[in-house]
Amino acid sequence: MRKLKVFLDFNEEESYLNDMARKGYLLKKYSTFGIYHFIEGEPQELTYKIDYKVFRNHADFEDYKALFEDAGWIHVYGTKLGGNQYFIPKNKGADNEIFSSRESAASRYKTFYNLCSINVAVAAMCIIAVLSTNGFNLSAFGFLTPGLWDMAGADFWRAFFFELPFVIFRLLGPILLIGMGVVYGYWGSKAKRTYDLQMKGCENR
Amino acid sequence: MNLSKYLPMTETTYYILMALCEPGHGYAVMQKVEEMSEGRVRIAAGTMYGALENLGKQKLIAPVKSEDARRKMYQTTSEGRTVLQMEAQRLEHLLRVYKKMEEKE
Repeated sequence: MRKLKVFLDFNEEESYLNDMARKGYLLKKYSTFGIYHFIEGEPQELTYKIDYKVFRNHADFEDYKALFEDAGWIHVYGTKLGGNQYFIPKNKGADNEIFSSRESAASRYKTFYNLCSINVAVAAMCIIAVLSTNGFNLSAFGFLTPGLWDMAGADFWRAFFFELPFVIFRLLGPILLIGMGVVYGYWGSKAKRTYDLQMKGCENR
Repeated sequence: MNLSKYLPMTETTYYILMALCEPGHGYAVMQKVEEMSEGRVRIAAGTMYGALENLGKQKLIAPVKSEDARRKMYQTTSEGRTVLQMEAQRLEHLLRVYKKMEEKE
């Protein structure tokens, strides 16, 4: 079974996965943009824990997984570059945490925020690159049929619908890039807020 | 390099640097710290990994050759040793001041 869900809070995501396990749906895979793949199994009490990390190379990723395995965790799913790393304890019902300090738990949000910032920067650069191909002439992305807006009736509609697919095609790239920039900008700012809030809690302790 | 910026140290960092005066991998450090602190300080896996990453970036520990293909080994560097010593002196001073006050009362 597949489910589309977006979480910006690791605790909420953990509770969601625990609830699904209680209903007999066990996490098998997570793909980018929030698609959770579940397999059906025995309904059970599981305590999922989520870390957020990307790795420069395979050796670092293996070292990371080995450390968690040594410490009594099963790495359920996660890829080198995917970010989300899902763990369950080897001994069911064990009351374990993957973080023993609030600072380190909060650092997940910082990693995610940094990644969002990079994506926003990449989207912005791509948009600038696309615009520069037309010398920053925005009208070059719209309708190009000469005298289109002076036409009337059937002539207008014929010319309009003839060119529409080309216009959509021209605009698709920039719109997707702008969408990507906005989404990552929003996620990043939320993650930053959560991080600041959690770190503030640390100082006041 | 100005090493005093690493002071004061968290208890976790202090224990990790001590544990890594002999080369070891992440889980070995977790066990050693628990043993040294008589079970009082237990570092969780995610926190441990992040701490090793940070200490590596600060050059207070460095990777050493590992016999295990999967697990990386680290050791406290000479800078790490110096910082550890500075922290111990700082703590010693605090303790001395406290004892003096206690004697007066």
